[in-house]
Amino acid sequence: MKEIKVEVIGVNPPCPRCKKTEENAKKAAAKLATESVKVEIAKLDVTAKETISKYGVITPPAIAINGVVKLMGKELDAGVIERLLRKEL
Amino acid sequence: MRKNSLDKKQALKTALMFAFILFFIVMMIWAIVGAYTLTPTSTAEDLQGLPLWQIPLVYIWDYAQHGWICLGFAFTISGVFAEFIPKSFMLKYMSSGKPIAYAIAMLIAPLFCVCSCTMVPLFSGLIYAGGGIGPALTFLLAAPANNLLSDIVTIQVLGWQIALADIVAAGISAVIIGFLVSKTPWGKKFDQKSQVTQAHTASIELVEQPLDERLWSALKFGGYLAKRIIPAFVVGLVAVSYFQAFFPSELVETYLTGAMGVVYAAILAGPLYTPTLIEVAIGRALVNLGMAPGATLAWLMGQPYDVPNVLSASRIVGWKIVITYAVLAFIAAVFSGLLYGLLTGGF
Repeated sequence: MKEIKVEVIGVNPPCPRCKKTEENAKKAAAKLATESVKVEIAKLDVTAKETISKYGVITPPAIAINGVVKLMGKELDAGVIERLLRKEL
Repeated sequence: MRKNSLDKKQALKTALMFAFILFFIVMMIWAIVGAYTLTPTSTAEDLQGLPLWQIPLVYIWDYAQHGWICLGFAFTISGVFAEFIPKSFMLKYMSSGKPIAYAIAMLIAPLFCVCSCTMVPLFSGLIYAGGGIGPALTFLLAAPANNLLSDIVTIQVLGWQIALADIVAAGISAVIIGFLVSKTPWGKKFDQKSQVTQAHTASIELVEQPLDERLWSALKFGGYLAKRIIPAFVVGLVAVSYFQAFFPSELVETYLTGAMGVVYAAILAGPLYTPTLIEVAIGRALVNLGMAPGATLAWLMGQPYDVPNVLSASRIVGWKIVITYAVLAFIAAVFSGLLYGLLTGGF
């Protein structure tokens, strides 16, 4: 079984766009789960020191897959996230 | 075959979105070239004759009738800039700790930061990533004053002269204030303790997206901004309409003109919490009631030290730095207002 780690990086408390991105990431994960791909979703706070020391300055909402920031500063559709995830397979 | 029809659909979508963006650009140019006014034209006399409940309706209708082009253009273009400006490149320079960081923080960054939910994260990001308090503060001060959305609306509602003066004065003072604060003992101490020294363990490798997706993302962000800002703007206009109708213009003419008027306007701008764009509408009402140009500039420059801004910044940098920059920003507002008044003879 293949595993992918996704980090949704947003502000805390979440802004509407960050929330949407997180929901869409969950949708994409659910879709891949039916194809027996395990997607683990974590939430990161963009203003936290740990996040910044890991990734540097980024604009929220952003999404990182397996420790690499793929897109930032925009709300992402489930379809876009799904495509990004499939590239990792 | 299937791929072919998908391509066609994509091309059509792209063309439609281009047409939408182009529509607002053309309308805006048409309005500017034709000197078609986009600002409301109601005067106090027009409004006073109306029944109380009608005043806000007439005023908002006045704005809607004239302002839809300007607002539509402003939101669309803000979305496009936010999407297409190369962010990672800019962020790298802004957090480099070199002098160029100040220039980027002042000039380019505010272009894509229209909403506070990107402003505060970037501010703290810059601080922790080694950009230092200086450029981070420059960014925090310049972003609300110089973002694309409020620039476009200020140009249209208050005229390009005052808008230009605001952009230049706010930009220069943001750089000076950022620099000065970074040289204070408490600014230096803050820089030392807040820097994250570890090397980044992970990386940023942005993927390319097809054009139709990016355009959609741009328009979606424009729509998101409109949805967030317009309701508050409309509520603000209800208040402004009564203000315009009934606030005694003698008071404005007495207190918001001359050198002292600049000082009063700068004081007034701080504690009055005004959501994005409302300060421009209030500014317009005050100008209609007789506020002088110098005072108007000071009024517009008062944003960086309004209450919510100061509160959210204080959580990150502490009160000492906040008070330092708020006092400096107040001085800058007064100084710029006086200078503008002197230069234009507009006391």
